[in-house]
Amino acid sequence: MSFLEMNNVCIGYGPSNARTEVLENVNLSVEENEFVAIIGFSGSGKSTLISLLAGLEKPDSGFVRMKGRTIDQPGPDRGVMFQNYSLLPWLSVYQNIELAVKQVFPDMKKGERVEYIQHYIDMVSLTSAEWKKPHELSGGMRQRLSLARTLAMKPEVLLLDEPLSALDALTRSVLQDEIIRIWEEDRRTVVMITNDVDEATIMADRIIPLTPGPKATLAQDFKVELPRPRDRTTLNFNPDFKALRNRVTKFMISVNEEAKLLRTQRNLKCPDIQPISLARVG
Amino acid sequence: MKYKILKALDIAGLKVLDPVVRLAYREEPREQVRKIILFIAIPIITFCAFLVAWAYIAPRHTTKSGEVPTPSVVWDSAKNIWVFHQRENIKEEDFRVEGEEREKRIAEVTALLEKLKPELEKADEQLNKAQEQAKAQTQQAVAPLMAVFEKTKEQFKQAESDRKKELNELAKTIKDGDTAARAEYLKKVDAHIKQSDVETEQLQVIKSRIDVVMNPKHEGLIAARTAKNRVAEQVQFLSKRLENLGDNNQQQKVLAAKQALEEKKEKFSEASGRALYFGAMNIHRAEDRLGRIETSTYAKPWTFPAQIVRSLGCVFLGFVIATIIAVPIGILCGLSPVFMAAMTPLISLFKPVSPIVWLPIVFIIVGGFIDDPEQAPVHPAFLSSAITVALCSLWPTLVNTAFGVAAIDKDHLNVARVLRLGFWNRLFKIVIPSALPLIFAGLRISLGVGWMVLIAAELLSSSEGIGKFVWDMFNNGSSQTFAQMFVVVFVVGIVGLMLDRTMIVFQRLVSFDGAPTAI
Ligand SMILES: Nc1ncnc2c1ncn2[C@@H]1O[C@H](COP(=O)(O)OP(=O)(O)O)[C@@H](O)[C@H]1O
Ligand SMILES: [Mg+2]
Repeated sequence: MSFLEMNNVCIGYGPSNARTEVLENVNLSVEENEFVAIIGFSGSGKSTLISLLAGLEKPDSGFVRMKGRTIDQPGPDRGVMFQNYSLLPWLSVYQNIELAVKQVFPDMKKGERVEYIQHYIDMVSLTSAEWKKPHELSGGMRQRLSLARTLAMKPEVLLLDEPLSALDALTRSVLQDEIIRIWEEDRRTVVMITNDVDEATIMADRIIPLTPGPKATLAQDFKVELPRPRDRTTLNFNPDFKALRNRVTKFMISVNEEAKLLRTQRNLKCPDIQPISLARVG
Repeated sequence: MKYKILKALDIAGLKVLDPVVRLAYREEPREQVRKIILFIAIPIITFCAFLVAWAYIAPRHTTKSGEVPTPSVVWDSAKNIWVFHQRENIKEEDFRVEGEEREKRIAEVTALLEKLKPELEKADEQLNKAQEQAKAQTQQAVAPLMAVFEKTKEQFKQAESDRKKELNELAKTIKDGDTAARAEYLKKVDAHIKQSDVETEQLQVIKSRIDVVMNPKHEGLIAARTAKNRVAEQVQFLSKRLENLGDNNQQQKVLAAKQALEEKKEKFSEASGRALYFGAMNIHRAEDRLGRIETSTYAKPWTFPAQIVRSLGCVFLGFVIATIIAVPIGILCGLSPVFMAAMTPLISLFKPVSPIVWLPIVFIIVGGFIDDPEQAPVHPAFLSSAITVALCSLWPTLVNTAFGVAAIDKDHLNVARVLRLGFWNRLFKIVIPSALPLIFAGLRISLGVGWMVLIAAELLSSSEGIGKFVWDMFNNGSSQTFAQMFVVVFVVGIVGLMLDRTMIVFQRLVSFDGAPTAI
């Protein structure tokens, strides 16, 4: 029995007459302390998958389990970092984190809490923006705040939905390292959504592609057996790394082509009608 | 510094002054000048144009209460209202003042009165003179017209009797059975009557011309009368002050009553037999009297500024009641679709009901709880007005709150779900803060509605306040009170504007997305 698992999960949206099946027969099992990256094209259902793991959505069929128990509601043991950040706009940077910390660690003393929160603010380099409201932050800063809030909850499982997509390359690599460090330090389980193959390869133990939707499902996984710690400066010259990256990229391109082909075939079935000239009929 | 001022202006809702500050700091002068013209100069010009149009149109319509007042008349009557208010305050002070201060005031007022005496005499004299002059002038103007009138009247009278005589003569010549002649005669009589009517009308025209001259606006006379009235009013005011400083003064009255009591006591100690009983009775009465005087207050009439303050208190009470009712119900509606469905018919039914309907009902119900209006801690009329304000103004807040709570961002709720916030935490940390901007937008509308409703409610319930003032002025029906009603228009407008501005400031403070809150 694995730590986190999905078994034949199907989910769709909309009423029965106009239904879009988003995920179909998804099977996933994540071991404890494992770092899994899920990559897929946009709109394929990655965020939906995260919602299922978090317990924010319920599967139409199949089940989602954590430590053998069915997930039926969200909770702070599964820290979600939402793709759209979901920051509370009336709270400042500090207060956004404080709300989560107060709820998750009710017994923490005030002085300790202040320090704790400050630590996470410093970690995502939001120092000196503590009292700004989210609408005063840039997209990247918001994303970092959202990450800090999720990390501050110290969840057993981190569910990160494209956590670094809005960041510039430099900040991105810093935070990648930071996530890895936290994951290694506290021995947590991470499921990270990304659309960046490099990022997935550098960070994850395992890369699982999600086929393009509708009716997306998880494809065969790729094990990343590069030794840790992975140094990104030397990694670029590592043949294993390059080979794996190419394999994943190729796979993604091919499934996308297939999906496109499927879609175009469906769409191109034109009715066999010839235009009639009205003038001649008249 | 500059940005601090700009920020303060922004928060205070005085964004109009923004370009002025920027111009003072030489920031893009051309752009700022353009903005000043657009947002400051043009509104001022429009307002001036309005005043000019008003000054032009108003005197052209005469009513039972005199001419429609012009801006300057309204301005004067606003000043009068203020003077009246201040005088009443001074009189009240006089009533209460004691000891040396009282002596000082008496000396001051007496000196002033002495100084005014010759002025009053002079004004009286001038008024008399003006009256004489006016009379003479009128006589002069009327005399020739009167002569014309008399002459014409005489002529017409003569002509009429001549025609009558002629017709009578003619009647004699008509023989029996001569129908044609009779018909002819009938026509002649008709013509005669018509001619008479025409003449009467002509006379009327001359008469009305005389009336116009008889009733002229003698500039000098009006000026003299106003001058005299002003002095006379001042004299009256000062005399009243003397009264309040003298015999009518509370301290003086207390002293007198105490003295009377002492006398009674002395008498009692010397009395015997039947007189003892009466002596005791007298002491009892004197003590009663002393007690009454000691607790008495000056019977100050309501002045308009005091009524404004009371109206503000009333609208504030109503607004608080409305908020206490509307916000929780709105939150429940927003949270629970079932509750919303249950409330919808009630909301739709009561929302459009006018204050004119609510007030009598509320008045009767409140009256049922309060037996003696004079003894009650709050006057029932005041309370009914406040409740009516609440009933009419709670709807925008209720609807906005319900909408704000129902429209809460799903992402924010997801955060609450992930954190497993309890009901109260979810309510106070997520739901209410996120609905707060809309709630405040509703409160702002509510306060505006409440202020409008209040005047009508006060007018109906005779609760002291602006509405009551308008009603009293309307019943007075003089041109002076007519002008004061115009003052009310501006006062109500300005107070309403300030209330709205205040709410905008609050709205700004709770809005978190930096979005502007209307103009
Ligand atoms: N609440 C919803 N109602 C209806 N359709 C939805 C909803 N959420 C997601 N979808 C649909 O599900 C598909 C997958 O969405 P999503 O999981 O957000 O994709 P991704 O995160 O991979 O870009 C999309 O086609 C989207 O239109
Ligand atoms: Mg997504």
